[in-house]
Amino acid sequence: MLFNTPQFFLFLAAVLVLFYAAPRAWRKYILLAASYFFYMSFIPKFILLLLSLTAIDYTAARWIWRAGSPRHRKIALIISLSANLGLLGFFKYYNFFAANIASLLHKPSNVFALSVILPLGISFHTFQSMSYVIDVYRQEQEPIANPFDYALFISFFPQLVAGPIVRAREFFGDLYHWQRPCSDDVLRGLLLLFLGLAKKMVIADQFAQIANAYFQNPGKQPGMVAAWSAVVSFGIQIYFDFSGYTDMAIGMAKLLGFHFPVNFRRPYLASSITDFWHRWHISLSRWLRDYLYIPLGGNRGGRWQTYRNLMLTMLLGGLWHGASWNFVIWGGYHGALLSFERMFRRAGNAQPGRWTVFYPLQALATFALVTIGWVFFRAVTFRDSIYVLGQMFQFLYQPVRFSPPAIPTWLEALACFTLLLAILEEKQEWFEEISLGPAWAYGAVCALLLLAVELIGYTQTAVPFVYFQF
Amino acid sequence: MAFPATAQPPTGGQTTVQTASARRVWTRILAIVLFFVAFEGLLFHTDFYASIIEPNSSTGFMELQLRNEIRRPKPNRNQVLAVGHSRMALLPRIANQETPDTGYTFASISLGGTTPRTWYYGLRAVDPSAHNYAAILIPCDDYNDHDAYDQQSERETDLHYLIARLGFHDLLDFPWTYRSKKLQWEAVRGIILKGAIYHRDFLDFLEHPAARIAKARYYASDSAGWYYGYGGVDKSLAGLQIDWRNRTVRFPDSIPAGDRREIREEIFPDLPPNRGRETAYLLYWYGRMIDYYRHSSTKLIFLRVPRAPQSPPDSLPQMRSAIRQIASRPNVIVLDERLFNQLERPELFWDGYHLNRIGSRLFSKILAAEVRRVLGPPQP
Repeated sequence: MLFNTPQFFLFLAAVLVLFYAAPRAWRKYILLAASYFFYMSFIPKFILLLLSLTAIDYTAARWIWRAGSPRHRKIALIISLSANLGLLGFFKYYNFFAANIASLLHKPSNVFALSVILPLGISFHTFQSMSYVIDVYRQEQEPIANPFDYALFISFFPQLVAGPIVRAREFFGDLYHWQRPCSDDVLRGLLLLFLGLAKKMVIADQFAQIANAYFQNPGKQPGMVAAWSAVVSFGIQIYFDFSGYTDMAIGMAKLLGFHFPVNFRRPYLASSITDFWHRWHISLSRWLRDYLYIPLGGNRGGRWQTYRNLMLTMLLGGLWHGASWNFVIWGGYHGALLSFERMFRRAGNAQPGRWTVFYPLQALATFALVTIGWVFFRAVTFRDSIYVLGQMFQFLYQPVRFSPPAIPTWLEALACFTLLLAILEEKQEWFEEISLGPAWAYGAVCALLLLAVELIGYTQTAVPFVYFQF
Repeated sequence: MAFPATAQPPTGGQTTVQTASARRVWTRILAIVLFFVAFEGLLFHTDFYASIIEPNSSTGFMELQLRNEIRRPKPNRNQVLAVGHSRMALLPRIANQETPDTGYTFASISLGGTTPRTWYYGLRAVDPSAHNYAAILIPCDDYNDHDAYDQQSERETDLHYLIARLGFHDLLDFPWTYRSKKLQWEAVRGIILKGAIYHRDFLDFLEHPAARIAKARYYASDSAGWYYGYGGVDKSLAGLQIDWRNRTVRFPDSIPAGDRREIREEIFPDLPPNRGRETAYLLYWYGRMIDYYRHSSTKLIFLRVPRAPQSPPDSLPQMRSAIRQIASRPNVIVLDERLFNQLERPELFWDGYHLNRIGSRLFSKILAAEVRRVLGPPQP
């Protein structure tokens, strides 16, 4: 039951009706039942995995809190982290490591392989679960008494499969002090829901066709223009796909009286790679910062240790995305860029995202660097990545024959229009103005978004969100 | 939005605020619905988008046919209109060469791939008063009915042919003429959200909007002449021999090997056991057309089109076939089923189903004369 299907909207409508029609004490149970129903609509048997992890982490957190000695607290933490990382490692990385070991032993790559299906959203809910247990260990969070409350925190359907990764204190703050959403929040939520759907179906899915056609077999479309068209298309696809999903998740949460953190802040307007990571998948960046980068020492141990920590964090962040060396390289590439930026950044230039006369150039350069990184993220193999990069920089080693770009004119116009909207949002916050503006403006914008979905985004079979695979 | 009360009982002041809040939300939801209906309506429930639709598409072909027929001058009521699929070989230009003798003017909105369901809605579009024509010509593949694997009743393409002509008032009717729930839902959604049906066409339009508009205008202004001047296909199956008993076909050397399998399958189609589904479907749609003209003097003339490049052996007539059940209804004329048997010759066909140029000319002439015979002299 993907977010971009009529079935999901029927499901959401039913949940909203039941939620608000039920007595207040029942509402969280309705959300829990709905969340499990949603999860089971994909592969029902994995509910056992979700229930097991929920039980382990719920119990571990309570043990940690009650344990008398630091040693016992640590043991409970290790049990919990081992369970989470063990299951994540098995389902997500087993075949990757098995193939690499086989390769080292000069055996066929599938000799140790198992037929493993990746459970939906495992990367997200394990991270969310681990953050809770670590927070309890650090005594920044009290353990949750009611197991159903904890189960809802892990399985809450709007963010179960692809985030944003919500902190326990944020979620339980909303749950335990639940208030009926004000009209502003309802209107923001609805607009976000429609905006997210339009981002996904009108923009991401259209650019996906260009990127998919190219990356299926890059050798079929040689040339610099084709390569750049495909890679830029993928950059646009992944942003609108993932931020569309997040907008929908945040919008749904608002309709239910919950507040999720912002996950994207117009990342392609970033003026540096550091700024980019302050704007892209913010909830993951925050998680990696708080539970990996800072525990590794952060920037407290001198320059070289900071670079090492940045590299390690980004390498693991890359690996989190998928079991492939390409993701590791992608993470390493960003780690290296962040380290270089840090190396050459002057003390007075630490504030990213300031609008200066050089800003457009900085933003363009950042976009180009991020786009180059997407090659590793999207290409199926390392060999493909190298080939595509070679095509993109063909002009460095041979004369270039220009061919018309693979991106239709109307999609180019659409991309320019969204860029304009992003700049306007950055400067004037039109989203808030429309959300709280007159009824006619709100109605017209929402209706246009829905019309665009109907006309451009309609497909017989819904296209899954990119991040569902992670 | 009317959220139920929270655990805290609201005070009088809070109630007023909540009511104002709820009103604010509902006003905006209403605005969304109104704007959406207005945008959708302006684009698709008016003539606007249908006039720039890709002419070489199912909807585009259908619209051209219907618009050309609506625009065609009709100085008197002695007009005879043919509906039908690609096997309806009437060439109006040839039939009208006989007008000095017959007194009737022939026109056609027949279109390949259409079915009796689309013919009904086509007639409704070109003849809203049900009084424009002296007669409507309706083709039958056979006067005996046979079920087919590709059931006419479940053709999704009908929705695409007709989408520009379906309105909200058809919601209670059109979707439920499908048996499959999936198609019923597709039809309901298509009628309400026409953009979902026009989706591919719209994306195509976005790629080259100016070229599309120019093409649509060109077709709108000139296509009536092209269709009227169309003479048929020049190929022929001369030399082909069919052994009906052994279900074999002997092809002359002139027919390319690549075409032979298809022709064989057209002549000997794979048919499921007859369960009367086709009869029920035809009865329903023939009945709808007859009912549409029940208060009119328009005659509905049913005819059996030439069946194959060589006449099949006679079979016993099904007394409960659709055509035999409606034959006695008012305004219905059923032409002699052997009328076109003389055209069932390989040199008059270009494939297993369709008459070629010469066959179509002969068909048109015979049909024009027969129409004159069964209708009698035209009105002064």
